Amino acid sequence: MAEDFNWAIGGEAGDGIDSTGKIFAQALSRAGRHVFTSKDFASRIRGGYTAYKIRTAVDSVDSVVDRLDVLVALTQRTIDENLDELHEGSAIIYDGERSWEAEIPEEMTAVDVPLNSLAEEAGGSIMRNVVALGAACAIANFDVEYLDEALEKRFGGKGSKIVENNKEAARLGEEYVEENYDLDHLGYDLETTDEDYVLLNGNEALGMGALAAGCRFYAGYPITPATSIMEYLTGRIEQYGGHVVQAEDELSAINMALGGARAGARSMTATSGAGIDLMTETFGLVATSETPLVIVDVQRSGPSTGMPTKQEQGDLNMALYGGHGEVPRFVVAPTTIDECFWKAIEAFNLAEKYQTPVFLISDLAMSVTEQTFPPETFDMDAVEIDRGKLVDQDEVDEWLDEQGRFRAHADTDDGVSPRAIPGTIDGAHMSTGLEHDELGRRTEDQDERVQQVDKRYRKVETARNEEDWAYREFGNPDADDLVISWGSNEGALVEALEYLEDDGIDVRVISVPYIFPRPDLSEEIEAAEDVIVVECNATGQFADLLEHDTLTRVKRINKYTGVRFKADELAEEITEQLSAEVPA
Amino acid sequence: MSSDVRFTDFKSDKQPTWCPGCGDFGTMNGMMKALAETGNDPDNTFVVAGIGCSGKIGTYMHSYALHGVHGRALPVGTGVKMARPDIEVMVAGGDGDGYSIGAGHFVHAVRRNVDMTYVVMDNRIYGLTKGQASPTSRSDFETSTTPEGPKQPPVNPLALALASGASFIAQSFASDALRHQEIVQQAIEHDGFGFVNVFSPCVTFNDVDTYDYFRDNLVDLDEEGHDPSDYEAAKKVILDSDKEYQGVMYQDDQSVPYHEQHGVTEDMSDIPDGAPEDAMDLVREFY
Ligand SMILES: Cc1ncc(C[n+]2csc(CCOP(=O)(O)OP(=O)(O)O)c2C)c(N)n1
Ligand code: SF4
Repeated sequence: MAEDFNWAIGGEAGDGIDSTGKIFAQALSRAGRHVFTSKDFASRIRGGYTAYKIRTAVDSVDSVVDRLDVLVALTQRTIDENLDELHEGSAIIYDGERSWEAEIPEEMTAVDVPLNSLAEEAGGSIMRNVVALGAACAIANFDVEYLDEALEKRFGGKGSKIVENNKEAARLGEEYVEENYDLDHLGYDLETTDEDYVLLNGNEALGMGALAAGCRFYAGYPITPATSIMEYLTGRIEQYGGHVVQAEDELSAINMALGGARAGARSMTATSGAGIDLMTETFGLVATSETPLVIVDVQRSGPSTGMPTKQEQGDLNMALYGGHGEVPRFVVAPTTIDECFWKAIEAFNLAEKYQTPVFLISDLAMSVTEQTFPPETFDMDAVEIDRGKLVDQDEVDEWLDEQGRFRAHADTDDGVSPRAIPGTIDGAHMSTGLEHDELGRRTEDQDERVQQVDKRYRKVETARNEEDWAYREFGNPDADDLVISWGSNEGALVEALEYLEDDGIDVRVISVPYIFPRPDLSEEIEAAEDVIVVECNATGQFADLLEHDTLTRVKRINKYTGVRFKADELAEEITEQLSAEVPA
Repeated sequence: MSSDVRFTDFKSDKQPTWCPGCGDFGTMNGMMKALAETGNDPDNTFVVAGIGCSGKIGTYMHSYALHGVHGRALPVGTGVKMARPDIEVMVAGGDGDGYSIGAGHFVHAVRRNVDMTYVVMDNRIYGLTKGQASPTSRSDFETSTTPEGPKQPPVNPLALALASGASFIAQSFASDALRHQEIVQQAIEHDGFGFVNVFSPCVTFNDVDTYDYFRDNLVDLDEEGHDPSDYEAAKKVILDSDKEYQGVMYQDDQSVPYHEQHGVTEDMSDIPDGAPEDAMDLVREFY
């Protein structure tokens, strides 16, 4: 395992936990360290426990662990909630002056820092979290100067005075700990490097991918945890001539996006939970009218309003089967934050190449988790844009029938028809959710119905053959036992391999980013002694699919507590499952 | 196509399956003539249709068009116009489509003031589903699902539009062909959301709100000397439940359409072959 350091700040919602965490994460990233963050938050704006956790190492980190080295506790609950992650070498920063006596287990190191008074000394009590950051730097032997840049980034817009005060607050925190405590025995000494990293979360990566892919129109309705995609695009999409609309509801959002797409703009909508239900009405229309549209579902814990700020991967069936009738579609599920970027680009290409909805399903954990990457990870020169059979003005004639009518739904070998957008002379045509003929005119003729259904599914067949529906592989490819996962579990699973290796357990891991079409895993599953499918839902939706594909029973690891998998926990579960019976 | 566009160019080769005598024939003819008269052509026009007898209009017209799901035509039209401010967008549907299932969208489309034209074929009945009460049906109008009448006051779509901040509100009558065409034309030429409620009688299921009824009761606002820029006067005629009016009730001459207010002026269909030139800036932002 990499030499890593785990830090957290926790308190009440409204205490500025998130921004404080982000500042520290940025400072670590500036110091050339890798960072992986996670957030614990309740569905309320003020009050209620929230925490921001950072795992940092010199090597890359892709998951969270059950371990905290330094905890900034603004409330007793922060300590209580994290007790099982604290260990003998943990230091807990708290403010004893703030009329609470922290109950800290003896074996841990209590670091009482007058956060409030020092903040006031620096210019205002609002900076007490920054004082705590300075204190944390002292404990971790991490140069407080790295905070400066992050503070400038955060407060630069508010004027140099505020920035200076914050820098001062951090220094006061650092000095206080250095003068009053000797904590070298804890052994923390955060190494720095010359590497440059960027730090971003899954929704930001997804939004950035959309912009890189030429997305120009976005319509959405606020819902956790999808909203930050809309927030990211707002203010950035305009610089490319695009626009974001906050619609009146999700029914409207998806229909607006559909309108944008039919007008020729690369268009997207994103939602979660109840929002995807509302959008379902329009799935069939998107497919039947053969409109290229990217629909993002950032999954959260359901059903109904469920646990809106908690993790789950429960919407896979919805993405696969949502909508009445049979709706051809693609379902793509990025497995890592950087893949949110690349899969967003791929989603737009697939949508336009095959003129059909593409569901991009992410999840809450991925959407809020921030991670560092070398900037080249998002190499914009490598972005390829394929608009499919969008016809130029001079190509229109090829697609007119004898009467000069544009064959918008022409039956072709690959199932993909030419696409004319408004303004293309002689390309005018009607599209509809009704069954239609090649011209888009309503039909109930049996042959035409079958022709169009077959044509729409033939596109999927074409794509199945022509595209690379690869999976990602980790662990020992020759191991007897196979662990399969989809979506954001990959990072924890990959790290679990190290724990398993320590215990002498060898497994092969397959992480699947494509749900439909998906890679054919029958050989891999057949060759394996044990197959375990890991997912964040109660019923094992992906496991069901694989069983259906291969007629082989698989073992399952399901987590639906609302919290993502942790590496050590996964390793344990895998070990347990390997000796368990295959379900009858 | 261009300047020599005739209204028949907006006709598709599908024969309407509307009942002979349906008001929708007249509504559609007027729309096609208004489009041609205002210098549009089928290749630069996008018609979004709702679901209902009225929604079939997209099939009988020739242009870029989408016939979507029930009640959502306005959002589709909004998306088209956002992406392509250069395209003429016309949205059409029925009173059930627009004021019942789509009522929420109506309010918001009105207040957004997107530069498009919305024509509602108001027959005060559900035609396609064979004669149930619609939101504009009279409270004592007996139908298969309301044997004693809906016993609820009808929606006043004009008042709903006014209360939502509409910049153009008009009403016309399908069989008063010239006036109807003229009113739709004004709606098209309006800078912003041009809303026209059209009395479009259903000869099959509504024997109350008939051609004769409208002919006998219709008052033309032009003849009354109504000034559409006078908000108070507009309020008065819109809230007057004793009479049926045709004409432009209200037009805000200061109306600034959505795309001008928000600087949405680019043709969004045109994108580069790869990531935008300065796209690495997007990455650098996360340093
Ligand atoms: C979601 C949904 N619910 C119900 C229907 C059935 N439906 C089709 S048309 C219609 C009402 C049409 O009434 P109106 O908009 O007044 O149009 P008209 O047929 O009178 O022109 C209904 C309820 C549907 N197509 N979709
Ligand atoms: S049922 Fe009524 S609205 Fe429908 S086509 Fe016939 S007359 Fe027109």
